[in-house]
Amino acid sequence: MTDNSQVNNVQTPSRRRFTRRGFLKVLGIGTGGLIVGAVVGGPTIVREARLAINQAFLTGSLPTPAGPESPMMWFEITPDNQATLYMPKIEMGQGIHTTLAQIAADELELDWETITVKSPDTGSEFDPQLVFTFGSTSTISLYQPIREIGATMRHMLHVECADQLGVSVDTLTSENSVITSGDTSKTYGEIIADKVGEWVIPEETIALKSAEEFRYIGKSVKRVDFYDKLTGKAIYGYDAKLPNMAYGAVARPPRIGATLSKANKGTADAQPGVIAVVIEDNFAGIVAEHRSQAYAALEFLDLEWEGGTTVNQQDILDIVTVKDEGGILIQREGDVDSNITTGTQVKAEYRTAMAVHAHLEPQGALVDVQGDKITVYTATQSPALPRDAIAAALDVEPDSILVIPTYIGGGFGRKFGSDVGVEAAYLSRAVGRPVHVGWNRPEDMRYGQFRPPVHNVLTASIENGEVLAVEHQLASGDVFFFVQELSGATFFETVLGADPLAAFGSLLIYDFPHRQTIYHRAKLPIPTAFWRGLGTFPNTFAVETFMDELANATDMNPMDFRLKYLPPDELGARMKAVLERVGEMSDWYGDVQDGRAKGLALSYDRGTVSATVMECSIEDDAVRSHRAWCVADPGFVVNPDGATAQVQGTIVMALSSVYHESITVENGMIQNENFNTYPLIRMNDVPDIEVDFVNSGDTPVGGMGEPVIGTVPAAVSNAIFALNGQRIRELPIQLV
Amino acid sequence: MELRINGQDYDVDVPENEMLVWAIRDTIGLTGTKYGCGIGMCGSCTVHIDGEAMRSCVTPVQTVEGKEITTIEGLVSIDADGNEVLHPIQQAFIDEQVPQCSWCMSGQMMTATAFLTENPKPTEEEIKDAMNNNYCRCGCYVRIKSAVARASEMMEDNS
Repeated sequence: MTDNSQVNNVQTPSRRRFTRRGFLKVLGIGTGGLIVGAVVGGPTIVREARLAINQAFLTGSLPTPAGPESPMMWFEITPDNQATLYMPKIEMGQGIHTTLAQIAADELELDWETITVKSPDTGSEFDPQLVFTFGSTSTISLYQPIREIGATMRHMLHVECADQLGVSVDTLTSENSVITSGDTSKTYGEIIADKVGEWVIPEETIALKSAEEFRYIGKSVKRVDFYDKLTGKAIYGYDAKLPNMAYGAVARPPRIGATLSKANKGTADAQPGVIAVVIEDNFAGIVAEHRSQAYAALEFLDLEWEGGTTVNQQDILDIVTVKDEGGILIQREGDVDSNITTGTQVKAEYRTAMAVHAHLEPQGALVDVQGDKITVYTATQSPALPRDAIAAALDVEPDSILVIPTYIGGGFGRKFGSDVGVEAAYLSRAVGRPVHVGWNRPEDMRYGQFRPPVHNVLTASIENGEVLAVEHQLASGDVFFFVQELSGATFFETVLGADPLAAFGSLLIYDFPHRQTIYHRAKLPIPTAFWRGLGTFPNTFAVETFMDELANATDMNPMDFRLKYLPPDELGARMKAVLERVGEMSDWYGDVQDGRAKGLALSYDRGTVSATVMECSIEDDAVRSHRAWCVADPGFVVNPDGATAQVQGTIVMALSSVYHESITVENGMIQNENFNTYPLIRMNDVPDIEVDFVNSGDTPVGGMGEPVIGTVPAAVSNAIFALNGQRIRELPIQLV
Repeated sequence: MELRINGQDYDVDVPENEMLVWAIRDTIGLTGTKYGCGIGMCGSCTVHIDGEAMRSCVTPVQTVEGKEITTIEGLVSIDADGNEVLHPIQQAFIDEQVPQCSWCMSGQMMTATAFLTENPKPTEEEIKDAMNNNYCRCGCYVRIKSAVARASEMMEDNS
């Protein structure tokens, strides 16, 4: 066993403080509007705090930074008093554009109705790492810089307005994009239109509002993207259209990882509607006038495949099994080895199945290759990824590719737009027309990167009714390592040993005297990577079900057990508050309706503490969840209703996985093909859900899109134990 | 062939046996109707054919020639000043802040409007049964249910 506990960075036990400040800049050249942005100064982003002064005016087109630095985000107000907020995050349904707009609108005192939020394309030179919309980090990383830009921009407008009105700045107040001095008022747009000369960013740091002064932050502001979405106007990657476009389809291997040993056109190019048959290195595709024609012609290609995996489901279970030896120590408190055999031992094993994202919008991209200018419309959580993948595939400079991210019809960790973008790029280059490739459901279900299967083994020793030591060993398919290997890097694999993202949720946070966690890498021939919550879903299921088993073994109420073993620090205090609140809401100690029982689970994931109580029964040999109560503490909540929606959705997605979701493999191919063999949860199976938040500070410290997901399977499992004594140790649930 | 969609006639040239969803989305360009599974299971592609909610991904174009097809784009009406007026179901989905990614929502609303025409004052159980065959991967079911109930009340007030 390798001792690697000193580099464990899976979760930081202490609250993070955000002190960073971007460099502010007036962007663009020309006349017309005011644009202020923050500029990322490379590695200084985290700690450096300094205000840069620059000046310029609007060009009317997207500004490009003059220096080597990349803009982090920028806000633009035009003479018509409209505000456009360029935010470095992709809207994938989580409401992030609304949340970030709230933060900006508050400090800038914007009229909510004047705001448009835009996503970053790759031509605007956003920092790709920052745009990567992933890991529930958007709000916590951008909260402070957005407020600083907003406050600075408002101050600049005040100074200019005071000049224009001939009054002192002190007399001015602003609200709803209007600045008022006594009986006189001007809109931001009017002030900008009347501007003579240059805008100057103030030298001093502008004071931010106190929490009591917030008008948008902390309020349930309505989503900015719903009108377009509910009238069918919103454009997703699958919807993108250009004049003269054609449609593509691509041949898929019969086994995962198989490559083309022979690829000829066959009679495909003679099929109806076919414009071209495109053969590249390990690639065969069709371009046709209609999508259905392209797919139909695939059958007429003359192809042979070789290699690939022939793995079966049993092989996968064998690979993903905690071995007696080896593993990487990722947590060590006290001395588990000397104490784990003392007193009474409790041991349990858990398994979580492989799963697919099943976002309802399949992968889609429209690519237009016109000589050395390439335009890409795709649903992507990170526009730089398809840009770089297409650049490598077509052997062109990344700068020649403009990736315009669209709305995302569900991502959950699978929307990168890279594979489908490369396919459309090959096809477009061959025909000189824009080509759209939109995967069908079987392609989307089989040729992705899956949630890895996980095996967890937990052991504890109990002495004199007290838990003395707990050991958690997990074997997981890759999450981060898979993506890392794609890039050819092995740094983290070598240095860290353990896949940090697969290990999310695996650490033992309760205050047992001796505890440790050991990770075993299970390298599968089936690609596995990001799925909502990463390791949090399987690992929290195992750990929190085991906590219930320990509560039972020590003859304690599961709530009392958790409260007894809280860590004696700030995290423990947050856990206590969340547990007590969910206990209150669910009437934990009260009576339960006949035939039902309640289960409890807690999670600490990426800064957010959450606890869920599920009330379940068994009807017709199936588990039913009737009610769910969830309390989360992500620090400060910027948009309570948006956060509530995230929790509701997370609970429903988790239940879908608890009840149904299992990807299985035979002879190297995914057996599931469509929703008839991979069903999702439906409205009838969704419980009533009550959500509440504990605001444990004045700053967001934890994410909201994922962390709750791990509490759900454990809460259901624990409810079933309370109901009939049966332990659910496998997902999806199989009742015996 | 001719398709009548949202009161407009479209002359479309599509392959034999083309499914309606592709004629609507790719050929005509009304991309508010979404593809999700191609086997009529998820409901994202739901449109109205002569007022009835149908899965356009398993509906051959030939079978709907001469029929009135309504898509999500046809739910909005235009008032005397030329402004768009949302259908009560759309307003209810905004009021209840229903969507997340919203890929399924056109299908949800088309299913709901056809249902509410048949059953203007449904019970909660009836709403759940009527909406049970439309998937929402983001898990907005709780809010969809509330919004359908709210739309029912709004439509009652309007009538």
